Amino acid sequence: MIPLGTKAGPVASPFSPEQQKRFDEGFEEAVAKYPPERRRAALLPALHLAQDALGWLPEAAMAYVGHLLDIPPVRVREVATFYTMYRLHPVGRQHIGVCNSVSCWAMGSEKIIEHCASRLGIRPGETTRDGQFSLEEVACLASCGTAPAALVNNFTYVESVTPQSLDQLIEKLRKEPGQPMATERKP
Amino acid sequence: MTGPKILTVDWDKPESWSLSTYKASGGYTALPKALKMQPQAIVDEVVKSNLRGRGGAGFPTGMKWNFVRKETSFPKYLVVNADEGEPGTFKDREILLKSPHMFVEGLIIGCFAIDCHLTYVYCRGEFRDSAMKRLQQAIDEATKAGFIGKNILGSKFDLEVHAVFGAGAYICGEETALLESLEGRKGYPRLKPPFPANAGGGLFKQPTAVNNVETLANLPPIVNLGGDEFSKIGLVPKNGGTRLFAVSGHVKKPGVFEAPMGISFKALLDEYCGGMRDGSTLKAIIPGGSSSAIMTAAEADWASDFDTLKAKKTMAGSGAVVYLDQSVNMAHALANVMRFYAHESCGQCTPCREGSLWMKKITDRMLLGGGVVQDPDTLKTVADNIAGRTICAFGEACAWPTQSFVEKFKDEFNQRSQKPVPPAMPPEYTPGELIDHEKITTAPLPRNPGWEETARAGTI
Repeated sequence: MIPLGTKAGPVASPFSPEQQKRFDEGFEEAVAKYPPERRRAALLPALHLAQDALGWLPEAAMAYVGHLLDIPPVRVREVATFYTMYRLHPVGRQHIGVCNSVSCWAMGSEKIIEHCASRLGIRPGETTRDGQFSLEEVACLASCGTAPAALVNNFTYVESVTPQSLDQLIEKLRKEPGQPMATERKP
Repeated sequence: MTGPKILTVDWDKPESWSLSTYKASGGYTALPKALKMQPQAIVDEVVKSNLRGRGGAGFPTGMKWNFVRKETSFPKYLVVNADEGEPGTFKDREILLKSPHMFVEGLIIGCFAIDCHLTYVYCRGEFRDSAMKRLQQAIDEATKAGFIGKNILGSKFDLEVHAVFGAGAYICGEETALLESLEGRKGYPRLKPPFPANAGGGLFKQPTAVNNVETLANLPPIVNLGGDEFSKIGLVPKNGGTRLFAVSGHVKKPGVFEAPMGISFKALLDEYCGGMRDGSTLKAIIPGGSSSAIMTAAEADWASDFDTLKAKKTMAGSGAVVYLDQSVNMAHALANVMRFYAHESCGQCTPCREGSLWMKKITDRMLLGGGVVQDPDTLKTVADNIAGRTICAFGEACAWPTQSFVEKFKDEFNQRSQKPVPPAMPPEYTPGELIDHEKITTAPLPRNPGWEETARAGTI
């Protein structure tokens, strides 16, 4: 039996050296925002950083972040599964989220989602076979005046979407590399 | 456009977000004035101004700050709620994008008033690359200009401002869930009391004022105009100042409009938004974000202030007004709203977790043509049993739309629930019978898997 209070051993980093450098910089910055005795509060930004590097949050990344901040793995998992922006599975290099809340819905977001799905050949929640696109329905994006709204890769707003503008967007995104390593699993 | 412009003065100017634009229109003149006042005097002005929290509850800001000031535990914190997630609301994003300096100045004054030296602005995660970037720019500019940092403008007042961001959870707009999230945990709302303003209830268990972005943006005008003058801008008593209405839906010109508190919904529609779009007639109004009880077209002359709407059993909420036209089927609309709440319920309290999903299932069934005669009543019963039985206001937020939709648009719900009530389910065992297990006849397995023989032989 493992006695209470046993510390887990060091956890291997899931990042490549280059990713590690960027992660470390961001991590320092995030931790510096909180009082030293409250550094555990930096869990959310740290998970964001890990996801920025890997495209999603594999178990190894959660364990690593938990180790850095001295948070038990179960608490890290609790946070990672609670918030919708954290990806627990690999998604496409270009992840499109279309808002389905009331203002966007009234302005025809259902049609936009349908159009996007048929254009990409996937349903919401799925990823295309080549790993370039994934589609999701998301909750209100605070962009109701320019409804329907969409969100690319969690942070880029696309507003006043029409089927035509969506087609153009998809063509544009097809040529761009998008999120790093989003679909490549590390062995 | 009519009415006074206080918050939106700069919005139409090029580069309205820069420090130079803000300074040109009289920005950062309130701050030196405020720093020369006694902190309590600022709070007294805010009390006089009748400024009500713009996040949704409409709690008097001055009163909240007085609670924090009374506490003797230090440090005290001011946390800004920029986790704008209520469907229909997009005013805070516009403030952060178009005049972040006005908000930053208000934030500094607010911190000085409650004696806070470390403040966090909690933005929703999706804002990271847009609104939050601009806010960070503004914070950096203000720091460079000496408005943030050590010994601000020679007043011996120090302040550290940090912008942080969440990760996509509607519930983190609830103030205690926001604090939980800020502390690095999942956003479960806390049981109150202690309230955030009291010791033990706030950020890191310290007294904390949680304020909305728009609320704080009102601080510079209050200091400049004086509380009494500011209060007079509102059209009704006890509701000071102007309000940013985030109008969306089937109107000609959706967007954020600044109008005096207490303007009627009809005036807002006709004078600011250019009326309904062509070929549309008004059918329903969502007056304060999807959590508020819906209004019919006949009720459009109601005033939009906190007290009037509370008396009419709905709420002014976050100032998100959605005008819906005749093309909208209300059962369909409720199904959409319920899908949102079922998805966003944090899962802490059973009535809300189960109830929101239950209401979603019923409205979905109505859409698919399987609604049974009892469904409108069931919806109401479920909603009645959520409201007031949860830790946070999310329970009310998902109960109020259901109750009001079903009550005010009865016909549309009845039309979609015409299937006869299905026959009663076959009798199930009561818990008593389950305990007294001898009464329950065990059904023989269809095929003997051979476990008993294997056990007897002791080998597999």
